[in-house]
Amino acid sequence: MSEHPVLPPESTDNESVAARLAREAKRQVAQGNLKKKKLVYLELNGCSGNIISLLNGSNPDFEYMITSMVDLLYSNSLMAAEGEQAVQRLFDLAAGDEEFILAVEGAVALKNNGMYHLVGKIGDRPVTGLEMAELLGKKATHVISVGACSVDGGPSAARPNLSQSVGLQGVLDRHIIKLPGCPVNPDWFLGTLAHLLMFGEPKLDDMNRPLMFYSTLIHDRCPRRPFFDQGIFAEKLGEPYCLFKVGCRGPVTRTDCPTRKWNDHVNWPIGASTCIGCAQFGFPDRMAPFISYDTTKE
Amino acid sequence: MADMVTIQRQMDLTFAEINYLIRLMYATEDEHTKNLTLNQMWNKIAHLQFLNQLLVAASFQQGQAAIPLQNSPQTMLPDSTNAPTANNQMEFTREQLAQFTGMNGQPAYVAVNGVVYDVTNNAAWSVATHFGLSAGRDLTQEFASCHTGQQWILDTLVPVGRLIA
Repeated sequence: MSEHPVLPPESTDNESVAARLAREAKRQVAQGNLKKKKLVYLELNGCSGNIISLLNGSNPDFEYMITSMVDLLYSNSLMAAEGEQAVQRLFDLAAGDEEFILAVEGAVALKNNGMYHLVGKIGDRPVTGLEMAELLGKKATHVISVGACSVDGGPSAARPNLSQSVGLQGVLDRHIIKLPGCPVNPDWFLGTLAHLLMFGEPKLDDMNRPLMFYSTLIHDRCPRRPFFDQGIFAEKLGEPYCLFKVGCRGPVTRTDCPTRKWNDHVNWPIGASTCIGCAQFGFPDRMAPFISYDTTKE
Repeated sequence: MADMVTIQRQMDLTFAEINYLIRLMYATEDEHTKNLTLNQMWNKIAHLQFLNQLLVAASFQQGQAAIPLQNSPQTMLPDSTNAPTANNQMEFTREQLAQFTGMNGQPAYVAVNGVVYDVTNNAAWSVATHFGLSAGRDLTQEFASCHTGQQWILDTLVPVGRLIA
């Protein structure tokens, strides 16, 4: 036997890659090469959709994340502590020397000095999301913007934007890894986190999105693509042809949705309806209309 | 035009040869023959690529708007070739341009730097809208603010005329 036996190529489908990453992480942790890092998951002005999506993750799943990948120090939806005790944890982090990765979901509301979105209270003093985003954002080793709202305002900043919401970058002058999507696919977040833990920052495109998840134009891998090439278009939803004429945003949106899919890799938006461009900057206002029957002729 | 026919015939021939080589790959067990076949396939594909470039170049020379973009999906659609696009010297005023909104069965036209382009079947213009912009307008400034130095984008569009005043 030679020292480096030639092995058959490893499977490159999404689940195998995710499983291999998770297995490697586990091995590295067991060997002590890899120390568990701390994660703070801050929810700002949004709908908590990304955390719901995260709970739907598999290979690795959420349980694996909090037991084997990171110490989840704070997540207002999921932690046991509540009230002032929980908020105090954030201030301790901001004041102390602990290293942590900061994941931020939701937009930062600027109106009335941030009073349109509160994280909690210390005594009688309301603590705004704006204050926390700035405090923790400066301190974290890495910052990940999770979801459309955090990336560039998303639905929270959609017209008429009553809370004057902006993306995290709007209040934080530092390098941020951006994971657009409404919501973010659990694999995109967990994969980015795993990469951060094991190999450091993943390769990013010029808009700071990880290339491993956001490099493919949906249109290029769409199963309905042959219909586009032949000029065969659906006139209403439910027809199995290209949805370009009713408002599909696949041609302007970059994600691996066509191959990764959602809900344990079962189905995805174009499996049933149009892509609404939820992972593109400017969503939702600039992706409108999502559906239109008032179309061009072919 | 004779050139194009020759190129097409060469391409068909090469496709047939590649198909034959693929079948040969399946049939043969011999490692050496396999490598040889693979090498031949490589050459054939390189040849195909060359023919393809030749085809594009040839059709550009003939000044035909529809053929150079043959591998681009948008021109394969019947519309872009036989709509009023054939004559790209048509002149549009802003009012006339405003009618081509892509709604009610109208084609979708936009103007950039004085040239009117047809984006009816352009993939990035689903339902005649593009990042919140709608068709039927002069989008010179919008183009400049987002696609500075990306002239190639305009080169892939089908010009239909000029914008006057």
